Amino acid sequence: MDAIRTKELHKHFSGVAAIDGLSVAFEQGKVTGVVGPNGSGKTTLVNVLSGMLPPTAGVMVIGGEREMKGLRASDTAYHGITRTFQEVRLFEQMTVLDNILVVLTERSVWGSLFERHNAGHMKKVETVLTRVGLWEKRSQLAHNLSYGQRKLLEIARVLAMTHSDHIGQDASIFLFDEPFAGLFPEMIKVIVSVIKELKEAGKTVILIEHNMNLIRELCDHLIVMDSGKLLAEGKPDHVLAKREVIEAYLGE
Amino acid sequence: MGIIPQIIANSIIAGAIYALIALGFNLIYRTTKFFNLAHGALTVVGGYAMFFLYKELGWNVYASAVLAIVFAGFVGYILDKAIFRQLRLRKASQMVFLVASLGLLTVIQAIIAILFTSQFQTLANNSTESRVYTIAGGIITQTQAIILICGIVVLALLTLMLKKTMFGRAVNAVSDDEEVSKMVGIHTDKIIGWVFFIGSAIAGLSGILVGFDTGLEPTMGMHLLLKGVIAAIIGGVGTMHGAFAGAFLLGFAENFGVWQFSGEWKDAIAFIILIIFLLFRPQGIFKK
Ligand SMILES: Nc1ncnc2c1ncn2[C@@H]1O[C@H](COP(=O)(O)OP(=O)(O)OP(=O)(O)O)[C@@H](O)[C@H]1O
Ligand SMILES: [Mg+2]
Repeated sequence: MDAIRTKELHKHFSGVAAIDGLSVAFEQGKVTGVVGPNGSGKTTLVNVLSGMLPPTAGVMVIGGEREMKGLRASDTAYHGITRTFQEVRLFEQMTVLDNILVVLTERSVWGSLFERHNAGHMKKVETVLTRVGLWEKRSQLAHNLSYGQRKLLEIARVLAMTHSDHIGQDASIFLFDEPFAGLFPEMIKVIVSVIKELKEAGKTVILIEHNMNLIRELCDHLIVMDSGKLLAEGKPDHVLAKREVIEAYLGE
Repeated sequence: MGIIPQIIANSIIAGAIYALIALGFNLIYRTTKFFNLAHGALTVVGGYAMFFLYKELGWNVYASAVLAIVFAGFVGYILDKAIFRQLRLRKASQMVFLVASLGLLTVIQAIIAILFTSQFQTLANNSTESRVYTIAGGIITQTQAIILICGIVVLALLTLMLKKTMFGRAVNAVSDDEEVSKMVGIHTDKIIGWVFFIGSAIAGLSGILVGFDTGLEPTMGMHLLLKGVIAAIIGGVGTMHGAFAGAFLLGFAENFGVWQFSGEWKDAIAFIILIIFLLFRPQGIFKK
């Protein structure tokens, strides 16, 4: 089954087509890679899929439900979609701990004013922060973390969205926009294992990445975009051997 | 020499009033990132709601105050839902927000003037219940003592709320990045609605206090708003303790200025301070 599908999706920025009639499917429980030259529309695709940009035309289908003309950002958590950003976006003026705790926040105003976080919340925070090696840094402001730590905190934040006890927001679709870019090998290792774990847990992962070795290692399926269009798709090894794919990358 | 303690007392009272306005204004600003000029109108709404319940209906003073404060909060909440939320959905520019909120301020002040006339009204009862305290040579009335206590209590409660509660954490997240807050499942519209409620309720409280201290006029909203905004800016927009410090700095500058020069200088001094800060320290006393 497809976790998300797009049909004839278009996204134009004042006339320029960043996504140009894209019909792709992301299979449930699989890691799908998205590659393509700079400016080919990968980030724009993630922005549309995560409700941060309304599509100009076309539809998307989530979990085989009815067709939707885009998604509102406020509904993505409800649909189990979560993401990271190419340019990391954290709650800068909050501590590492609070960046995660806020994901687990009670959603009723009354409860959130007068109730405390329960032991389950605290356990969850410790688990996800330990997972990415940031538990020791928990009382630092996110703003003061290093570049790599910032990327790891974003990973921890999406992990916190699994099995949250509120509004059924158990994330099942993970969009990673170049999570490895600029990281040291040890940090890459952590994120690689996180993605593998998500897959084992039956989650759907969409991974934008430029490093073809990582793509080969992690992805079940690969989509190649060029100028907002689908250039090729299939098994990673197979796709990456195609002449037009190599040309798209080298001919830039 | 005997006049100095009195000027200090007056400065503190003025500072406390400005602080209450600036705190509510700042709370809304840091969450929604727009200068909500309609905030001034909520002082008028609170003050006149109190006038209606307490003076016209003759209710008990505490019941009237609670209801008037809640009413001001509710009006703020409705303004957000009916107008500002719609503008947010349409991704309106800062200018649109500014003009819309200025328009609301004008309209609300006009409605109040129609309902209650533009005449000056006071909430205080014929002087009898107004007790007077002498502290270190300065005289303050009971009302003024209450104003000061309210200022401190509101700052303490807001700080506690923002630092210690889950709700506060969500407010901070929305302040930091509204879009990402939505993505992680925070109901940002609900949070912003309640922020408007709380901020407006505080404005309503300040309107009531001003009504007891000096009196009510439909146009006082604009005046109080300006002082609150100046206090917020010189304190460092968006920081709660900054708003508080800025308000007292403004209160002291105005009252000592009036003493040195004359009463007409009061507003001029406020704007001179604003301009000095905008030129030399635009980020305010506490930079963020
Ligand atoms: N908000 C925006 N406004 C205007 N144009 C945009 C916007 N976002 C993206 N674009 C344009 O859309 C095209 C696709 O950009 P996008 O960021 O999706 O590419 P990408 O494949 O993620 O590239 P990269 O590998 O560099 O991250 C580019 O031409 C870009 O300039
Ligand atoms: Mg990109």
